[in-house]
Amino acid sequence: MLVVAEREQLPVPQAKAGEPEAWDTLFRRYQLPLYVYVFELAHDEQTSLDLVQETFIAAVRHIGSLRDDDKFGSWLFGIAHQKCIQRWRKQRREEVLLDEIPESADEFEGSPDDLLIRQEQEAEFMELLNQLPLPQRSVLLLHFVEDFSLEEIAGITGIPIGTVKSRLHYAKKSLRKLLEEKK
Amino acid sequence: MKTPREILLKRHQAAAPKLDAIRHDVLNAEFKVGQASRLSLISLFFQMETGWKSVLRLLWQELIWPCRRTWTALAAVWMALFIFNVSQRDKVELAARKLPPPSPEAILAWRQQEKLLAELIGPSAPGDVERRKIFFPKPRTEIAEAMAV
Repeated sequence: MLVVAEREQLPVPQAKAGEPEAWDTLFRRYQLPLYVYVFELAHDEQTSLDLVQETFIAAVRHIGSLRDDDKFGSWLFGIAHQKCIQRWRKQRREEVLLDEIPESADEFEGSPDDLLIRQEQEAEFMELLNQLPLPQRSVLLLHFVEDFSLEEIAGITGIPIGTVKSRLHYAKKSLRKLLEEKK
Repeated sequence: MKTPREILLKRHQAAAPKLDAIRHDVLNAEFKVGQASRLSLISLFFQMETGWKSVLRLLWQELIWPCRRTWTALAAVWMALFIFNVSQRDKVELAARKLPPPSPEAILAWRQQEKLLAELIGPSAPGDVERRKIFFPKPRTEIAEAMAV
């Protein structure tokens, strides 16, 4: 059972004051979700570990730019997302990020828990997740892993809320469809 | 039945020890440097054990590296100014070298004009200057007596 601290209990003000213990608590809380997010985009263990490390360093150095303490999680994921993009740009893979998806979906299902997966479907779920286009996978992971709001996902990825909504809708729709087909 | 979050986190749980190591490394490195940066540079200069390398590394980490793009842009501007300056200096020197020396006739005409100007203005009156130099202010009572006389 994974124990996750409530957002309100996170020692962000203490971290801003430069207390190493506070940073340790914050990093301990976010290290695995961050790694999951980065790994499921990059699909390389060493690259993902490097990106998590770079994200931690950037967070310590630029904590002053965090305006709202309650948004620490989305701010940290935003740094990680930017690091991923920088890495892809270095590898000349920006065309993957520029992949456009039509924006027309208004029906968006709120909770990430509405998609429940049976034990025998776990491997299939991972396989199907990786089949999704990168932009859809990115928003879906943020939704699944940390249950970020649409505004937060838009802030992390730097795309409009409408685009987030449509990407999430299409990603969930295709995932559900693929899961049903595999039944 | 599991949620996607549970599946994803469980799947990557094996990476936890490596992530713990990264967290420790980052905190050790960042807060050691952070403590050092709190000390003034002057005190660092006097701490012989710290040495020049640490000071330079600290300067690099705190001053140069975080705003490397700005420094690069500034360096480019400085280089452009320097190149412009050097090219302009060369042009001035070249122009000065190209000018021919004045002819003897021109020098003679210039001297004649100078002489004519001196005659027109006339000799300067050094007496006034000397009088001003030897003037001493007197008490007002003495001035009043002199006026009465």
